[in-house]
Amino acid sequence: MTAIAEQAPRAKSVQHRQAMPALLLLPALVWIAVFFLLPLVLMCWRSLAAESYSFKAYWIVFSSPLYTKVMLTTLESASIATVLALLLAYPMAYTLTITSGILRGLLLMLVFIPYWVDIIVRTFSWLILLGDHGLINVLLRKLGIVHGSLPLLYSEFAVLVGMVQILLPLTIVVLFGAMLRIDRTLIAAAKIHGASGWNAFRTVFFPLSLPGVYGAALLVFVLSLGFYVTPALLGSPRQTMIAQTIMVEASELLDWGQASAAGLLLLIMTTLIAAIYNRYFSLDRLWGGSDA
Amino acid sequence: MNPTADRIVLGAAATAIVAYLIFPVIVVLAISFSAGNFLEFPPPGLSLRWYRAIAGDPEWVSAFMVTLKVGSLTALLATLLGVPAAFALVRYVVPAKALLSALILCALVTPPIVTAISTYLFFVPLGLNNSIVGLACAHAVSGMPFVVINTAASLRSADRNLERAAIIHGAHPLWAIIRITLPIISPGIIIGAILAFVHSAHELLIAMFVLGGVGKPVTVKIWSDVQATSDPTIAAASAILIGLAILTFVSVSTAQALARRRNG
Repeated sequence: MTAIAEQAPRAKSVQHRQAMPALLLLPALVWIAVFFLLPLVLMCWRSLAAESYSFKAYWIVFSSPLYTKVMLTTLESASIATVLALLLAYPMAYTLTITSGILRGLLLMLVFIPYWVDIIVRTFSWLILLGDHGLINVLLRKLGIVHGSLPLLYSEFAVLVGMVQILLPLTIVVLFGAMLRIDRTLIAAAKIHGASGWNAFRTVFFPLSLPGVYGAALLVFVLSLGFYVTPALLGSPRQTMIAQTIMVEASELLDWGQASAAGLLLLIMTTLIAAIYNRYFSLDRLWGGSDA
Repeated sequence: MNPTADRIVLGAAATAIVAYLIFPVIVVLAISFSAGNFLEFPPPGLSLRWYRAIAGDPEWVSAFMVTLKVGSLTALLATLLGVPAAFALVRYVVPAKALLSALILCALVTPPIVTAISTYLFFVPLGLNNSIVGLACAHAVSGMPFVVINTAASLRSADRNLERAAIIHGAHPLWAIIRITLPIISPGIIIGAILAFVHSAHELLIAMFVLGGVGKPVTVKIWSDVQATSDPTIAAASAILIGLAILTFVSVSTAQALARRRNG
């Protein structure tokens, strides 16, 4: 009886099942195609058309010493920022996993507030703090550690301080999410079998958390490659990153072909890394993933 | 190490990290109330003069209005596009789901400068440059993932039997979704829409190319002023953005608490 009753709507819903999701997804996909993919295709065309349909613009990116240097600086800053962000985010994320209730809520709030503060604003704040008359130099002078002032601003140090502060909230949240998936009874088991707290962490929890660390590293690295505001405001010309060079090509030199070519190479790089991330950590885990 | 020492070390590390995260925010807030003429921390005295300067400057007022308009339109577009997509991804077996998910999310990991230049090149022939609608159309692409993620999360935790019950009692399936399911998942949708708004309000590079001349939004105005001037007006403008962020946080937490009460 129930079987028959269920069969009728099911036959209808099979048809329903094919047309409905397509209809629901269509507006979003069309929008992405028109306002995201089509402009990228246009940009690709511009990069080739600029020098009468040749790869000259790309050749310039690969051969000019300026681009080589900027690319190396970009990779260096992004790598160091990623490592620092992970080193700082790990203990914070771990603290979040062993706290609960109000304390965890409070910590999460403190981690999240800066995430909702504009990047220019956060960078601007370091501009004030790290300057010659900024708080840090004033404190160092008062303590008699330095005379005069340390040239903190317009250096790789300043850029990294700014970048890591911006990357940290996301890194913490991604690591925290990964750590929550670790089965805590395994650590309890290690302790029952005589491992000290530190040993249980080192031999059980830490290795289990490594996939999460690798995932966060890829994500944070991809985001760091595209930084514009922080190196522009806190760095010297020597800390120029690729987004700034592309910006100058486009808005100052009005060389759209060259800007497009460099932009596409940057896009290819980030897409490859994001694809690796997606292959192993699946981006759609963000909404519960395909296994949901 | 004994357990207490572990905790002390961890606690100290966590405190230092939180200080590093929060301190820049406090500095900007403090300077915005400065009585002095320069960007100094700690400020020499307190006043509201820089807020008054912003309220009295038509350029800043217009910048905030532009940001408000672009952000609201972005949030609206992202919601209209993202909510149906979330339904499809959560409730149906969709072929190539991983690829579709990646496509929806990829705007978030694309370097902003690339999106900015390609959008500009695309908008020039269409005449969408210098238009609020144009900027909102572009921002909707990267705002959409926030709506999809949060709607999908609410949708998965919502009890589908309530919708089924309505249908069994004679409601049209679409009507059941509108009257039963949408109200249940509305906190998720609202959070997503707010995040899409915040994302739009913070976005600099696309905004700089599309609305860089007249009618700048706040971020573009702050960015051009940061490089030119050095009085605390920028700090006050930033503080208003921070206020906006804190307001957002409070409304999101309230929405989440409401959702939890309703589901629990």
